[in-house]
Amino acid sequence: MTTDTLPASYLDDGLTLRSWLATTDHKRIAILYALAITAFFFVGGAAATIIRMELATPAGDLVSDDGYDKLFTAHGVIMVWLFLIPSIPSVLGNFLLPLMLGAKDLAFPRLNLLSWYLYVAGGLLTLEALLLGGVDTGWTFYTPYSTMFSNTYVVLTLVGVFVTGFSSILTGLNFIVTIHTLRAPAMGWFKLPLFAWAMYATSLILVLATPVLAITTLLVCAERLFQIGIFDPAFGGDPLLFQHLFWFYSHPAVYVMVLPAMGVVSEIIPCFARRPVFGYDSMAYAILAIASVGFLVWGHHMFVSGQSLAASMTFSLLSFIVAIPSAIKVFNWTATLYKGSIRFDAPMLYALGFVGLFTIGGLTGLFLASLALDVHLTDTYFVVAHFHYIMVGGSVMAYFAGLHFWWPKATGRMYPEVWARIAAVLVFIGFNLTFFPQFLLGMEGMPRRYHAYPPQFQVLNLLSSAGAGVLAIGYLTPLVYLAWSLARGKAAGDNPFGAKGLEWETRSPPPTHNFDTPPVVPAKVYDYHADEPEPEPAP
Amino acid sequence: MTATTLTDAPTEPGLDPDAGKLGMWVFLASELLFFGGLFAAYLYGRSHLPAGWAEGSRHTDVLLGTVNTAVLLTSSAAVALAVACEEEPRRRRWTARLLALTAALGVAFLVLKGLEWHAEWREHLVPGPAFALHVAGAQQFFALYFVMTGLHGVHMVGGIAALALLARGRSHRRAWASARHVEAAALYWHFVDVVWIFLYPLLYLVSRHG
Amino acid sequence: MADERLDEAGFARAARAGFARERRTIGFAWIALLVLMLASLGSAYLKLGPWNMAAGLVIAGIKAAIVAWLFMRLRDAGTLIRLAAVAGLGAWCLLVALGGIDYATRTQTPSPVQRPQQLLPAQAASEPG
Repeated sequence: MTTDTLPASYLDDGLTLRSWLATTDHKRIAILYALAITAFFFVGGAAATIIRMELATPAGDLVSDDGYDKLFTAHGVIMVWLFLIPSIPSVLGNFLLPLMLGAKDLAFPRLNLLSWYLYVAGGLLTLEALLLGGVDTGWTFYTPYSTMFSNTYVVLTLVGVFVTGFSSILTGLNFIVTIHTLRAPAMGWFKLPLFAWAMYATSLILVLATPVLAITTLLVCAERLFQIGIFDPAFGGDPLLFQHLFWFYSHPAVYVMVLPAMGVVSEIIPCFARRPVFGYDSMAYAILAIASVGFLVWGHHMFVSGQSLAASMTFSLLSFIVAIPSAIKVFNWTATLYKGSIRFDAPMLYALGFVGLFTIGGLTGLFLASLALDVHLTDTYFVVAHFHYIMVGGSVMAYFAGLHFWWPKATGRMYPEVWARIAAVLVFIGFNLTFFPQFLLGMEGMPRRYHAYPPQFQVLNLLSSAGAGVLAIGYLTPLVYLAWSLARGKAAGDNPFGAKGLEWETRSPPPTHNFDTPPVVPAKVYDYHADEPEPEPAP
Repeated sequence: MTATTLTDAPTEPGLDPDAGKLGMWVFLASELLFFGGLFAAYLYGRSHLPAGWAEGSRHTDVLLGTVNTAVLLTSSAAVALAVACEEEPRRRRWTARLLALTAALGVAFLVLKGLEWHAEWREHLVPGPAFALHVAGAQQFFALYFVMTGLHGVHMVGGIAALALLARGRSHRRAWASARHVEAAALYWHFVDVVWIFLYPLLYLVSRHG
Repeated sequence: MADERLDEAGFARAARAGFARERRTIGFAWIALLVLMLASLGSAYLKLGPWNMAAGLVIAGIKAAIVAWLFMRLRDAGTLIRLAAVAGLGAWCLLVALGGIDYATRTQTPSPVQRPQQLLPAQAASEPG
């Protein structure tokens, strides 16, 4: 390579395997994460497929009781820790944050690579536990079952979770320092894209909550290996101590899963409505409010566990309060659409789907936050439906939205729009068919984590399983056409959607150092105008 | 710098001196929560199993614990002095020696800790079938004692390694043994000291007047 | 060299009154820490009931504050660093405070089927682990 032929983009800057595995380029690390989480997504999805196949009939005839326990545990552990938590932050956040800030890379590029290796190591340990025979405690690892009675690979799985946790912590640290120190000078806090705000708040949670999970996994391992007795009532220990420590992390963790999704949606809706986001300041404050109040509500997972009534009432009240900033965001997204010039490109379809499904998920959360209702609904399929509406209808849809929206930027290729819209619609229909019946099942009393159920629940279960099939097709379709687009997709151009934001000011795909010339920070963020002529579609 | 850098913004990631310091403080915040879970478990035990906690604490070696506390406090002063020397051009040559002294004090701490653990093992104070104390809760106390001092010890090993490496790097005038890295290592060391500052009364001084 | 230049610029702000003052501060802080440690040790041998724990924690808090303020240089640090220092502590306090509501208000109602030591913690010999 001569001195006057620089690599065209970060993708051309080194073609060996080593150049990828030893990269410190945040964009390449984002792709490494994307490949890894996709693999884990399909492993977790395979577990879900078997689960839905089992649940198509009332008899527990496809897998054994223990086998079923291991399946839903694997599904939960993989989907939560190996897919959802890293998905938007470690893929989209890694790729976009420096670009959005006008920086060359994150604050600590080598730490970023270490984060990826920790993630892979933790994932492989968890996978190993799965292959050796799995774990049957549920992803929540409640004591004393996990510490005293389970005969499965609890310790190995928890060590995997422990290692992956440090990947999260270091990524969060990197993002916080990057946002504080590497913003383009003209980019004040209130000119940051909302995606950056979301990454910041998410990182605060990652740094402050994940360590508690880490120590909790160590305590469970110590209890299991050395019978220290801290969670064993026979020795004066308290099983609820585990639950307090576990949910102190795991509730904020759900905000780790949803805040980045909200950030993505806040980038996409203004672009495809050609309107600035409504109430930018309140959107930013709402993000911070969700992150902070999110630390105060964990006891709502413990209403029937034996927690005191006073604590339950406190947590119930706080859980109602935490819904408010989320609602503000939903109102603002809706208001952004008003008098907009709306285009239903695939990213927009996914983003709008997010708004609707997240609203349903959020509202059903309020049902569960009410003490009296929760007594009836807890450990039923209502809860399962609630969190899948948020995590799948919300986070996964937003991840796909972001994947499509920034695909042209990251790869320089357009995905095929028609197929993308078909997949988005399939996902939406499949998702609702899968999970809406589960609300009804829950209200009627079908317990979660059971693979055999009374015959009167079969119709709804069958609908749900059918929906899962449609959903699976919806998820597999992008795998095909996105891969296809890498080879045969149309060249995307720098800004195929006419979007605002510094990442669109550079080439597609960007050069390794992100910007050829310093980007100009616009005077106003989200400076869209609905009455302007629409941008030309990609050539 | 090449022509492709951005004007006005810090150009090379990681070289902004404030970024490293902020990064270390953010890391220490996460470490506080990491140890914090253990302290929460400790608080549970102390409030629900007070007799066991008292009995257990009485069997810790308060002399060794106090000496170790003094050693660690001194090591903190040493590394703080190392950072001060780093900033003063005329004293800069002392930095490496003070870093080495800090590391050595850290090693002394670990040696004493090891002796303490060994003695406790011989006295059957390690949780297990042969545990010597028969007050309910004493076993959990010692379980937490070993987990907390063990985790603290692991952090000390990391700190000692970093300080020793930096000491050696400075005396060989390596570029990576920079003032930024010295200050970051010092901050980490002080944090490990603060954890011990709380472990000392909570583990050794629960019920000495009994 | 380049590294030194950057470092000097960065630390010029922190080194306010010179090395001698810094050394004195460290010296006094060190003495104070050792004295407080001995005070903590001494107070443990006095019969103060629940105030023993309070004394131990308060003294530990002062020692930690000395280390954080003087050794870790929070005295000279900007708001952002101080916020980072406080954030971890604040989150931990939330864990203990909200979790503490449960522990403070939960009624213990041991059921008869439990092993004796659960009901009489101070008495019968505990079985091996």
